[in-house]
Amino acid sequence: MSRESAPARGARSHRATTGSRWRAWLRHHRAMGQDSARRLLRHPLGSLLTMLAIAIALVLPAGLWLALDGARLLDAELDESATLTVYLAPRVEAAEAARIEQALAARPGVAETRLITAAEGMAEFQQALGLEDALTRLPGNPLPASIVVHPVETAPAVVRDLAEGLKAVAGVEEVRLDLAWLERLRHLAELGRRVTLGLAVLFGLGVLLVVGNTIRLAVENRRQEIEVVTLIGATHPFVRRPFLYSGAWFGLGGGLLAWGLLTLGSDWLAAPVSALAASYGASFSLPRLGPAGSAMLLACSTLLGWLGAWIAVSRHLAQIRPR
Amino acid sequence: MIAFEHVGKRYGGRYDALAHLDFRVRRGEMVFLTGHSGAGKSSLLRLIMRLERPSRGRILVAGHDIDRLHHSQVPFYRRQIGVVFQDHQLLFDRSIYHNVALPLEIQGVEPREAARRVRAALDKVGLLHREKALPIELSGGEQQRVGIARAVVNKPALLLADEPTGNLDPQLSADIMRLFEDFHRIGTTVMIASHDLALIARLRHRMLRLHEGRLVADEEAA
Ligand SMILES: Nc1ncnc2c1ncn2[C@@H]1O[C@H](COP(=O)(O)OP(=O)(O)OP(=O)(O)O)[C@@H](O)[C@H]1O
Ligand SMILES: [Mg+2]
Repeated sequence: MSRESAPARGARSHRATTGSRWRAWLRHHRAMGQDSARRLLRHPLGSLLTMLAIAIALVLPAGLWLALDGARLLDAELDESATLTVYLAPRVEAAEAARIEQALAARPGVAETRLITAAEGMAEFQQALGLEDALTRLPGNPLPASIVVHPVETAPAVVRDLAEGLKAVAGVEEVRLDLAWLERLRHLAELGRRVTLGLAVLFGLGVLLVVGNTIRLAVENRRQEIEVVTLIGATHPFVRRPFLYSGAWFGLGGGLLAWGLLTLGSDWLAAPVSALAASYGASFSLPRLGPAGSAMLLACSTLLGWLGAWIAVSRHLAQIRPR
Repeated sequence: MIAFEHVGKRYGGRYDALAHLDFRVRRGEMVFLTGHSGAGKSSLLRLIMRLERPSRGRILVAGHDIDRLHHSQVPFYRRQIGVVFQDHQLLFDRSIYHNVALPLEIQGVEPREAARRVRAALDKVGLLHREKALPIELSGGEQQRVGIARAVVNKPALLLADEPTGNLDPQLSADIMRLFEDFHRIGTTVMIASHDLALIARLRHRMLRLHEGRLVADEEAA
């Protein structure tokens, strides 16, 4: 039929229909967006429960991600405090020590140096231990002079190379770098990242299942309608559209609830966390979802809802055949 | 308009619901399809709508072999055919107006234009005053007329109807058949499945008679 009517129309009317088809497509999107929102509101409790299930699935990975983000800030702070302590041989005189310090400061890879003379070292030691009396009774000062070196780069391998180089300098007895705990912390952070990623994937699947199940029921409820519109020439995207919007609304609602729960949660945990951090002499507070993080959370949840709906509807459309 | 070439349809591999069908329907013709219950009338219409595919042979509609349509083209093919279903297939949660508007909504017709066409179709079947009613509030005959309005709202070149007068009284049946004749008169090709032989005989159109899936008679209008 289309072939016979085509020549009668013309190229001009064809161009016109492209524009109107585009407008019709937009119109249907708007209508379905509104219609699916109205359907959600028609069953407020059921919709809320679905969104809550989504929110709970989102809160745990999002919370962990926030905590990791905080740990990353802490990590950066620690990087700055990564230093090497270069102990000089006991026989090195004060003037010699100053010269060595300058030599070290001039080396590539060294950002900053600070000389701690034998006397200063003793003073610090006494102060730290409160052993003034015992130490003053010692004959002479047993402590060597030392130089604290701040490296330019703090990656463990680079620092280790730098330490090797410093060890070879004349007058240097020992170089100590306390990287082990820093590395341990890094491994821990990496572990945390992977656990978070794993949980995010699992709980993301959970969201898909929650939305998928809800949409599956909605499709089942509107089966007759789907059959009828298919009979009279509806395309699959047309049939799918209202359900995809429902899924996206569920996702968005779940995302908003999750956002609320996270905000409440970090308020609730803020006091004990900063008290704990203070007891370690660190200033650490739970980071909050900024505008970018919030947008990310909502975008992810909306997308997950949409995807869950897509999977459910597509699986079902294949089964629904008009009678 | 429609050509069946050695068409057969077998359900589930057991027996032939339709076999050796060979006939043509010219553009603008009005044809009745008749036969006992289970003769294959609905199956034949479903083949034309491409709700089923033939097990054998070819079906050409407007020169196209409809079995060769890609499944993504099928919706666009169906939009060119108006169908009145044996069981109405109305949506019971929508008003009469929205039921009739459904094909236009699917095709993305601009709302003002759609409203004009829906009212014209409802006017044609005499239900313009009931446009806000729900299908449940209408009688069987009125529901059938809503189904007809929905089938013609799009001005299809081909109109198929499966038992459109199913459970209606003779007076109503005659009214409905007159509606189809009106569409036939303005050039629409019309094919109606019905076992109301008395009514069909009075109307004097071509008649295809099926018996156990075979075409046993093809009587031109007397
Ligand atoms: N989907 C199907 N699967 C299996 N068999 C079917 C199917 N559809 C129809 N049939 C069989 O095909 C035959 C023809 O059925 P059809 O519905 O076309 O008859 P009909 O002429 O429309 O009958 P009626 O007047 O009762 O509506 C019947 O024997 C029926 O059992
Ligand atoms: Mg039938």
